[in-house]
Amino acid sequence: MKSFTINANHLFLGLGLFLLSPCLGEELDFNRDVRPILSDKCFFCHGPDSNHREADLRLDTEEGAYAKLKESGNFAIVPGKPEQSEFMIRILDKEDPMPPVESHKSLKPKEIDILKQWIKEGAVYEDPWAYAPPVKHPAPKVKKSDWPSNWIDHFVLARLEKKGLSPSPEADPVTLTRRLSFDLTGLPPKPALVADFQSGKISYEQLVDTLISSPHFGERMAIYWLDLVRYADTVGYHGDQDHNISPYRDYVIKAFNNNTPFDQFTREQLAGDLLPKPTLWQKVASGYNRLLQTSHEGGIQAKEYNAIYAADRVRNVSEVWMGATVGCAQCHDHKYDPYTIKDHYTMAAFFADIHDKGYTGNILPTIRPPEMVILNPELQPKADRLEAQMAELVPPHAQAEISRLEMLRNKWTGQLKSLRDDKRKAALQARITDADKKIAAFAPQDKLNAFYRLRKQHQTLAKQGRRTMITVAEKPRTMRILPRGNWQDDSGEIVTPAIPEFMGQLKLPEGQERATRLDLANWLTDTAKGSGGLTARVMANRFWYLFYGRGISPSLSDFGGQGQAPVNPQLLDQLAVAFYESGWDVKALVRLLVTSRAYRQSSLATAEMLARDPANALVDRQSRYRLPAELIRDNALAVSGLLVDEIGGESAKPYQPEGYYRHLNFPPRKYQQHNDPRQWRRGLYVHWQRMFLHPMMKALDAPSREECTAERPRSNTPNAALVLLNDPTFIEAARNFAQRIVSKGGDSFEQRIGFAYQEALNRAPDEEEKAIFKQLLEDTRAQYDQGENEVTQLGKVGISPAATDISPADLASWTTVARGLFNLYEFTYRN
Amino acid sequence: MNFNQTRRTFLGQAGLGLGSAALSSLMGIRSASAASDIYPSAPHFAPKAKRVIFLCMAGGPSHLETFDYKPELDRLDGKAMPESFTKGQPIAQLQGKELKVLGHQAKFRPHGKSGLMVSDYLPWTAKMADDITVIKSMVTEQINHDPAHTFMNTGTAISGRPSMGAWVNYGLGSLSQNLPGFVVLTSVAGRNPQPIASRQWSAGFLPSRYQGVEFNAAGDPVHYLSRPKGVSIKQQDELIKSIIQLDKKKLGQIRDPEIETRIAAYEMAFRMQSSVPDLMDVSKEPQSALDMYGATPGDGSYASNCLLARRLAEKGVRFIQLYHRGWDHHGDLDKYMKVCCEHTDRATWALLTDLKQRGMLEDTLIVWGGEFGRTPMFQGGKGGAGRDHHIKGFSMWMAGAGMKPGMSYGETDELGYSAIKDVVNVRDLHATMLHQLGLHSNRFTYPFQGLDMKLTGVEPAKVIKGILS
Repeated sequence: MKSFTINANHLFLGLGLFLLSPCLGEELDFNRDVRPILSDKCFFCHGPDSNHREADLRLDTEEGAYAKLKESGNFAIVPGKPEQSEFMIRILDKEDPMPPVESHKSLKPKEIDILKQWIKEGAVYEDPWAYAPPVKHPAPKVKKSDWPSNWIDHFVLARLEKKGLSPSPEADPVTLTRRLSFDLTGLPPKPALVADFQSGKISYEQLVDTLISSPHFGERMAIYWLDLVRYADTVGYHGDQDHNISPYRDYVIKAFNNNTPFDQFTREQLAGDLLPKPTLWQKVASGYNRLLQTSHEGGIQAKEYNAIYAADRVRNVSEVWMGATVGCAQCHDHKYDPYTIKDHYTMAAFFADIHDKGYTGNILPTIRPPEMVILNPELQPKADRLEAQMAELVPPHAQAEISRLEMLRNKWTGQLKSLRDDKRKAALQARITDADKKIAAFAPQDKLNAFYRLRKQHQTLAKQGRRTMITVAEKPRTMRILPRGNWQDDSGEIVTPAIPEFMGQLKLPEGQERATRLDLANWLTDTAKGSGGLTARVMANRFWYLFYGRGISPSLSDFGGQGQAPVNPQLLDQLAVAFYESGWDVKALVRLLVTSRAYRQSSLATAEMLARDPANALVDRQSRYRLPAELIRDNALAVSGLLVDEIGGESAKPYQPEGYYRHLNFPPRKYQQHNDPRQWRRGLYVHWQRMFLHPMMKALDAPSREECTAERPRSNTPNAALVLLNDPTFIEAARNFAQRIVSKGGDSFEQRIGFAYQEALNRAPDEEEKAIFKQLLEDTRAQYDQGENEVTQLGKVGISPAATDISPADLASWTTVARGLFNLYEFTYRN
Repeated sequence: MNFNQTRRTFLGQAGLGLGSAALSSLMGIRSASAASDIYPSAPHFAPKAKRVIFLCMAGGPSHLETFDYKPELDRLDGKAMPESFTKGQPIAQLQGKELKVLGHQAKFRPHGKSGLMVSDYLPWTAKMADDITVIKSMVTEQINHDPAHTFMNTGTAISGRPSMGAWVNYGLGSLSQNLPGFVVLTSVAGRNPQPIASRQWSAGFLPSRYQGVEFNAAGDPVHYLSRPKGVSIKQQDELIKSIIQLDKKKLGQIRDPEIETRIAAYEMAFRMQSSVPDLMDVSKEPQSALDMYGATPGDGSYASNCLLARRLAEKGVRFIQLYHRGWDHHGDLDKYMKVCCEHTDRATWALLTDLKQRGMLEDTLIVWGGEFGRTPMFQGGKGGAGRDHHIKGFSMWMAGAGMKPGMSYGETDELGYSAIKDVVNVRDLHATMLHQLGLHSNRFTYPFQGLDMKLTGVEPAKVIKGILS
């Protein structure tokens, strides 16, 4: 019988042990070597969860581990003396071993050795690495001193040299340009840019600058951020109705392009509405708080859903900014980390001032107030002018009050008609008259009339804009600890907003009683008094992952006891410190990451390198991996010439299989593809239907965005192959590419295939490749010539017209070649 | 969390037969050589079931109109619901309404040698009285459809977790090289259909290849399966061969094991182009089979899907899930029970009987049920009487693969409100299902976010020993 817990991840840990564990004689590092064992094998019963602690023994703190055992009077751990430590005795006890058999956990001999050595060396505890603020480390000395380009390289190289390894040579200029272009803009490089760098016309640094200042930089970064914050165009539960949120995506793109400091980026999203005089885009940013899944199902219990939404927000904010799974403490104290159930609810209390009511009605898009309208840039000045004029006539607070009174009056007037009882009729009429009086009191009638006229114009204008959900603080709901997460249990303590208890307390200014989302945002980014250092480390690790393919700690969202410790902790610390010391300058961090020598390494791995370090934990090479779904789409559209690369705007609806939304209801859905240039927009703008994500996106591992996704899988499945082979988007793109090949690539096969390779892969084909494509082209062509199938059919795929100046047979045959190129490993991989 | 790559990378360089290892890895097929300590490569103990067919009656069929007969319910018909039953209980659409008892809408009779009580709505199911095992004491935790489906399929209401079909394929692998191991078939009929999210067949944090693949009755049976118009089979085949040839050349140059997985994916896609349409074409079935199920080829009905389920089972698909989405009977219960049973009753009988005749019921586990049951209380509206969502007690049945046939297990109270005897929660159902497949629910784990995740979650789950033969 085999234990199922042995699987890939553990295998990786096993391999990792060789790389990460101390060399013989090297001293143990508690966090790297000991904590993972204790956490995985012991903490479930002897850890932070006070309600589920066996024998009153906790092994996650020094105090607990060294204390006298209640039952036997012995000591679990006697520092320096493993043979006297009950802990070791029980581990080695064959009759009644620890961990107990029924836990299905067991210790490997190597792990037992480590624990023994640790106790022998004094059983020293260290704070969990993820909760210790990052500290500066000097760049280590290296032997190969001419290799480093910046300080990152010192850390990387020193680690390699310690293991007796050396880095890979630099990648060739074409590979570098492609790598940078996909990493920084998500698009293939323009051939001219490749030529400029290849010829030495521009330096590597200039190449980086060009790409990092491209408006597409913001788009590329946004793809990742939108995964983290679970951005989607629909509500996610039950009817999965559309909701209004696309301007939030524009905000994210803008923020990265404008290089908004990350601390400000944090404040604007969590608490844009609470900033002094928030700007339009800060209000839009506060839409972050509205991105969660909501249900508009009839018959839901408001109280239950308040609990569901609260937990959803805690999961997201803690995963995104803290790399922590505080969500696990919804029902009980965290099993492996010091978060208590109370911490979960005090954190939820920060968000208790967000409007979560009134999601009813099965209309598209659904209405989830508060919302605001974002106009196109050319209309915005007009709206601003109107608003200023309106404010002169009636002050803004009075405008809001007038709207409210009007709404009530209209409602009452409607009710009046159906009332029979004269007494009640009169009473209602009195209230209507009263409302009218109150409205009249705000301004003289002529001013009010002028105001109404302007308001009408403003409303007409607003109809041309896009609505977006925002946050407007209201009176906070009462937040209780829900025992075992049970929303029906009102016995729990009432809590107010607070940070996790073990991390300290928020200091509020005098006179402020309750902490706000803004206080939380400030704490998350305050490096002196808050957890800013930890946030910086979480994010630095993720940026590393974006450019190196794997985090320095591979646990991108679990910087806790069960997460894997960083391979190179000093490097990660130093990156975190550099990040916040630069003033949270994201572009500076990215520039640093991509100008290192380590980044520029070739991604070719020898068999030996693969065997030694399959996941490339030590970075003795670059990584190669499949492009994200959006980028595969973008790449094909860009190469075809169809790509519409406008920045921002509403979501786009590309071709989608007929009937794909047939399982949606309330209301039933019929997908309407866009029959205009929106059809060829970039992948990040594709309409994100949580319940039925576009099948192309899904086949290529894009997440549904129901929860935070810090790392997407990178699979190669038959479904993905079918997408690239047969999805009309790719067929249409291939046909358009074929048109370019035939019309611009020259006359001979040789010239054309050369052109096609340059455009698609930025290189020339070799003889074998040419031969394969020549054969494919000729065979395909021969079949068309024999009239075996209708040659013009391929020209009808998609909404772009097929070229008329190319013979249909030529076009169809070259379309096949273009399809071949789009399906290659090389076309879909970043290396 | 990119274990896939790590795993495959390892496989690739561990000197296993490369092409076949990649294919096995892609399909999750267990081969003798496939590095057994990486994969959970064998069941924990001898399995009774090789495959599961889960008949999901989405919307929540009423246990009080199917299997749970309560004379007291008829006696109190129209009277106020005793408060002792409902006080402090979660209620869906009846929140704040006056609660009245609604008696059974159909007669119940004992059937078969077992004398199993079945309502008159289900004459064909009644014929299987000695073959099925009815659990009358089911409880769940979610009172709204979407979270309740998610809970039934993944063991938690939190999104993003693997569905049971994905778990089973991860644990046991596929038995077919030409078809996915987890196939979902959906059909519509009855009341305004329940929306269903693709989350219900997601692989969650498990590798993507374990996700359920939906086979469509109309259009492409699998998305993008058909080649573009104007491209012949021969042309398409040559294109795929060229792609594979070029990728193989690349593999020779750079040895990235992912290329092998990719080549295997294209080979499988190539085979699926013919295997899937063949499989979906039930018109080749003899007329007698079509008649038995009441299926019309290509109509996408539940009956056709039942017939397809048998074909999929024969071809080695490990987990087959059928949805019928018409069971949310807030009003017009009688009318819609007739409609839904008309669409499903006979076909379900045909599926079980057909499998039995082919000797496949022995190693096929059939599960029938919805995400919850319905209230003993009346719900009114525009149409006739209905019932609201109910989670404290409802019925499901299982059959085949080591179940004790012709029995009823567990009980609800005298009004069919709360399960009171041998209570079975969703986790227990999962644990039992896994047990029949040879998997121990506590040892069947996958690491995610620092935890050893299980289909049955963190709360205790027990195998329902009382229903096993």
